[in-house]
Amino acid sequence: MTLKLNVNGQSCELSVAANTSLLDVLRNDLALNGPKYGCGLGECGACSVLVDGKAARACVLPVTAVAGHEVITLEGMARGDRLDPVQQTFIDAQAAQCGYCLNGMIISVRALLNHHPSPTQEQIRAALEHNLCRCGTHLEILEAARQAVLADAAARRETVDE
Amino acid sequence: MSDSPLSSTPRRQALPVGLAHVHYGVVVRPPFYVWDGEQFESARLEHVDKSEVAALPYRADVVIENNFVGVVADSLEAAYDAAARLHLRWQQPTKVSLVSPLKGIQTPTDALAPQAKGVSSAGAHREASHHYGWPGRMRWGEQPGWVVADYQQNQLNVWGQTTTPNTLKHDLKMLTGLDEDQIALFSSNTEAPLCATGLGRHCGDDAAIDAALLSQILACPVAVWLDERYARDMTALGLAQRMQLSAVVSEEGRIEEYSYRQTLAPSEVAAVGLWLSGRLKLQTSADEPTATASYAFNEPYVFRQETLTAHTGYPAGAPTNPTLLNVQQTFARESFIDEMARESGQDPLDFRLRHLEDKRGIELIESVARQVQWQTPPQQAPRGPSEMLRGRGVAYAQLPDREQRQKSGVRSAWIADIEVNRITGGVRITRLVVGQDAGEYVDTARLQQTLQERVLGEARPLLGHTPAFDQWSDEPNGTVDKKEQERTSLSRLTSPAIEPTRNDQLATTEPASPLKEVDFAPGVAVIANALFDATGVRFRQPPFTANRVRQALQEQVAGDETLSPSPATRRLRRRWFAAAALTTIAGSAAMAWPWKGAIAPVSRPAPTLYSAETIERGRLVAAAGDCAACHTAEGGVENVGGRAFETPFGTLYSTNITPDEATGIGQWSYAAFERAMRHGISRDGSHLYPAFPYTAFAKTSDADLQALYAYLMAQPAVSADTPANALSFPYNLRALMAGWNALYHDPTPFQPDPEQSELYNRGAYLAGGLGHCSACHTPRNAMGAEQSGERYFAGAMVDGWEAPPLNTLSRAPIPWSEHSLYDYLRHGESPLHGVASGPMAPVVAGLGELPEYDVRAIAHYVAAQMGAPAGNSEAELAEAQQRISRTMTSPPGMEQGEQLFAGACASCHVDSGLPSFNRAATSLALNTNLHSERPDNVIQSILGGVHAEHVVGIGAMPGFADSFSNTQVATLAAYLRARFAPDAPSWQQLEQRVAELRQPHHNNTYSTP
Repeated sequence: MTLKLNVNGQSCELSVAANTSLLDVLRNDLALNGPKYGCGLGECGACSVLVDGKAARACVLPVTAVAGHEVITLEGMARGDRLDPVQQTFIDAQAAQCGYCLNGMIISVRALLNHHPSPTQEQIRAALEHNLCRCGTHLEILEAARQAVLADAAARRETVDE
Repeated sequence: MSDSPLSSTPRRQALPVGLAHVHYGVVVRPPFYVWDGEQFESARLEHVDKSEVAALPYRADVVIENNFVGVVADSLEAAYDAAARLHLRWQQPTKVSLVSPLKGIQTPTDALAPQAKGVSSAGAHREASHHYGWPGRMRWGEQPGWVVADYQQNQLNVWGQTTTPNTLKHDLKMLTGLDEDQIALFSSNTEAPLCATGLGRHCGDDAAIDAALLSQILACPVAVWLDERYARDMTALGLAQRMQLSAVVSEEGRIEEYSYRQTLAPSEVAAVGLWLSGRLKLQTSADEPTATASYAFNEPYVFRQETLTAHTGYPAGAPTNPTLLNVQQTFARESFIDEMARESGQDPLDFRLRHLEDKRGIELIESVARQVQWQTPPQQAPRGPSEMLRGRGVAYAQLPDREQRQKSGVRSAWIADIEVNRITGGVRITRLVVGQDAGEYVDTARLQQTLQERVLGEARPLLGHTPAFDQWSDEPNGTVDKKEQERTSLSRLTSPAIEPTRNDQLATTEPASPLKEVDFAPGVAVIANALFDATGVRFRQPPFTANRVRQALQEQVAGDETLSPSPATRRLRRRWFAAAALTTIAGSAAMAWPWKGAIAPVSRPAPTLYSAETIERGRLVAAAGDCAACHTAEGGVENVGGRAFETPFGTLYSTNITPDEATGIGQWSYAAFERAMRHGISRDGSHLYPAFPYTAFAKTSDADLQALYAYLMAQPAVSADTPANALSFPYNLRALMAGWNALYHDPTPFQPDPEQSELYNRGAYLAGGLGHCSACHTPRNAMGAEQSGERYFAGAMVDGWEAPPLNTLSRAPIPWSEHSLYDYLRHGESPLHGVASGPMAPVVAGLGELPEYDVRAIAHYVAAQMGAPAGNSEAELAEAQQRISRTMTSPPGMEQGEQLFAGACASCHVDSGLPSFNRAATSLALNTNLHSERPDNVIQSILGGVHAEHVVGIGAMPGFADSFSNTQVATLAAYLRARFAPDAPSWQQLEQRVAELRQPHHNNTYSTP
C-alpha cells in the first residue's frame, strides 16, 4: 500500500506492506538509525521515537498507525546546529556506556519534559521505568535527566526572550 | 449519557432553536392502527406498567392519553431507553374486517397490463376499469430531522418541515384548542424553508402533532426525532384518495364512454397523534358519492359520453387541498388514458391527440413530441447493461386559471425517459421535456430554472429512498441523473394559438408568476407511464420507490412464467430475457431446483454486462458478507481461496471465487451461484460443507444476490487450484450433506418483522444473513449445525478463539450498550471493552466498507439480542472507573506473574501518568476476555498478539509465542485473571490449554518453539 508519512518535518511517500513496523521503515527505507532494534516486543524502549510529541515504541507500531501524525526521531530533535537540550545534557553527563539504550532514554526524557516541564524525581524514574539498560549506567542516565530538566527550562526561557 | 449513541452523523445536527430546557420525546404507537379511508381503528391500550421506568436512574415522564403513549426525558437516548422499558398491554380491535383496510372497494394494484383484462388487439370493442390510489402520507425526505414544539401561555411554536402548512395548522388547532394566530410554524432547518415541496402530507406533520401534544401536557419544549420509526405511519394511514376510472373503447380505438369516480371524501388524513389521543372527533357523513357541479374536474379530453363523480361527504372540519386534488386527478386520468391506449394497441401520444379538441393543447403536445423525436412505435432501446430497462412516457394536463376557468388555464405536456435497474429497482430519469403553455409574457429562462429545480424536488419523494432491509443506503437509487439535468428542457409554444388577442386573460396576469404545485400535475403520471413502457408493470399508486419497483418486477417474473406467451407480451419478454442465458431472474421458484443435478456451465459473463451501479451494490454485499476474509489465503490474492479451516471433522480449504472459468466460478450461471448461496450445492451438483455459511447467506435478498454475482463476475479472473480437503470418514462424503440440509437448513430468505423498526430489520438482515455473525457466535450441535432459541448468539469456539456470547449471557465486566457496540464495529475499539482482535479484526476491517447506517443497524440488532441499553448509564461509567482503580496493584503471592507482566506488558498496559502513543486505551480491568469462562482469547492474544493493520486506530500488540514458554504464558494468564478480574474464579489447566493453542494455526503467524 502507499502511505504518506511526516518524519522529522519532512513528508515522504512510501510503498510498504500494511503490517510493516514503523521501526523497519525508519531504519531501512528512510535510513534513520537513531532508533535501535532491541527486543522487538515493545519491552526495552531502544526503538523509541516521538509521535505528536509523545513517546512511541516503533518496533511494535505498524507504520499505518502513524499516518497523519508527526514523527520525530533522534535525528530530528536538533534545531539547526543546536542539539536538543536533552541530547546535549546526555553528552555532557557522559551517560553512555555502550549507548544502545540512549536513543530511548533521550526520547523518553524529551516526552516527559513535553508533558511535565519540571518533573519530580519520582516522575523521572517512572518515565524511564520501561527503558532497559544492560550496562548498568542508570545513575548517569538519571543524572543526565535531572540536568536536562534545568537545561530545557533555560532553553525555553531563551526562546521566549528571542 | 452525554454522548449520543448515534454520534457522528445526523443526530449531531443541532436543535433548530435556541430553546432552554428542551426535553426529548419518543412516542410508542400501538401494535395495530389503520385508517381505512373512512375511519381510524387501533388497538386499545389496556394496561400500563411504569414500574421499570420509575426505577430508572434518570427522569422520564410517561404521557398517556387514550391510545397515545409518549415518553419524555432529558436526552433522546434516555427517552428511547425508557420507552423500551415501558410495559404496555394492548387489546386488538375485534372487527376482523379491518385487517383489509379498503372495505368493499378494490385496492389499486400494480399490474402487468397485458394480463389485466385479457389480451385484445387493436380495433376490438372493449371495456376496462381500473383503480388508482394516492397515499395518505409521503416520505418526509431522505434525512432524519428534529421536530420541536413549545407550548406555553396559549402560544404554540412548532419547528419542523411540512408540505401542507394549512393542514398542519388545522390539526394543531384541533389538538390544542388554540386559535390560528396563537400557532406559529418555523423551519427546523436553517438551510431549508418551512414548506418543502411535495405531493401530499408527510410524516413531519405526525411528528409535529406528537411533539405539540407532549409539550402541552408537560409544559416544556419537546423535541421529537423524525426518522424511520415514523415510516409505520405511512403504512398505517393507507390511502388518502382512491379513484376509479372506466371506459368503453370503440372499434375505431376511441373512448366512447368515460367515467371518473373519486371514492373518498377529498380531505387529508389527520395526524396519527390526533386519532390516538382521541382529540379528533370525526362526524362522519353518510352521504353517498354524488355528482357535484361545484367540483372542478379539469378534464382536457373530449369523450362522447362522460360521467364524473366525486365523494363529497366532507368529514366535518377537515381541510381540503384543491391543489392536491388536481394532482391526484391528473395522475389517475393520465395513467388510465395511457393504459387504454396500450390495451387497445395504440400509441399513447396519438391516442391523447385523438381525444383533444383544444388546438393549443394539440400543438403543445406535438411540439414536445418533436423535441424528443417521439416515434411510433417506440424505437428499440440501445443496448446497455442487461439489467437496465429503458422506457418513455407521456402525460398531459390542462388546469384551470385562478378563476377556475379551464380554457384559459395552463396546458402542460411532459415526456420523460427513464432507466430502471431491475436488480435494485432504482429508477432514474434520464431526460425530461416539459412543454408549458403559460401565456405570452412569461420569462422563459426563469420559468425553465424554476421548473428544473422543482421537477427535481418533486421527483425525489416519488422515486426516493425508502430504506428497506436490503437497501444499501449509499446507492444512487431513484435519482434524477445529475448529468442529465441540463437536458431537462422546456419547450414553449410560440404559435398563434396564444396570441394575446385571443387569450387576453393570460396577458393580464402578472408576468413570471412562480410555478404552483398544480403545474406539476402531469409529473407523477409521466413517470408511471414511462415505468410501464420500461417494465410492463403498471404502477397505479405513487411513490415509485426502488423497493416497490423491484418487488413488482419480481412478481412480474413469477407471474410471467405461468402465462403462456401472447402477442402482447412478446415484446416485453424479448427485452426482458435479452440476457436470459446468463441470468435467471430472482424469485423464480426456489422449489424447482434440480437437487442433485449439475447446472450447465456457461461462458463467463462479459464484465460490461452489469451496470456500475449494480456492481457497486455487489461490492457492498461482498463487504458485508466478508467473502474475502475466508476466500483469501494468508498473504494470497483476494478471493483466490486456499485458506485452511480446522474443523472437528478435518481440514477444509476455501475455494477460488474469482471468475476464472477453469478453477474459479467463471462458468457458473446465476442459477448455479444462487443455488450455492441458498442451498449449499456446488454448480456440479455436489454438496458444499456448511463451513461455507450458506445457512446464513440463504437469508440474502434476491436483489443483493444478483448484485453480488454481478460484482464477483466483474473481478479479474485468477487461475488457482484449491487444495483438496482433508476430512475424516464419513465426513468426506459430501452427499451426506443432503440429509444434514434437510435437518438443519432453512433456505427461506429473510422476512422483516413488521413489529420492529427499519433499523432493527436492516440489522437483523445483515447480522443474520450476509454478516453471518451467528456462524461464529452461535454454538453448534454435534452435527455442526447452529443451535437456536436461547442458544442463538450464546457464544462458541471458532478456530481456537472464543466468539463471546452476543445475547444476555455476555460476561463483559461493564455491560455492552448500543453505543459501545457501534464504536466496536465501526472503529474496532470501544473504550469500555477494548479492541477487536483475532478473527474479529478482519470482520471490522470488512465492515469499514459499509455505510454508516448499516453498521448502526447491526449494532442496534445485536444490542436488542443482548437487552443492552442505548448508552451506558453514569453508574456504569463510575463502576468502570472503580474497576480500574481497584486493579492498580498486584494481588499478593503472584510474584512470578507480576515480573512477567512488568517486563513484557507494563510499558503499554500500565498507565504511568504520562501520555504515550503506544498505550492500550482500555484498561485490562474492562477486558471481556479476561472475564470470560475460558482463557482461550487471552492465551491467543499473548501468543499471537493483536494485529489489525487495516483498522486505523487499533493498536498493535506483538505476539510472545517465541519469547515465552508454555509455563510462562500460563503464569502470566493466571496473574492477569487474578489481578484484572478479581471477582471471577481462576482458570484451570492453563498450561495444557496453552500447549494446545500453540499448534500452528492460520490465524497466528508465530512458529512453534
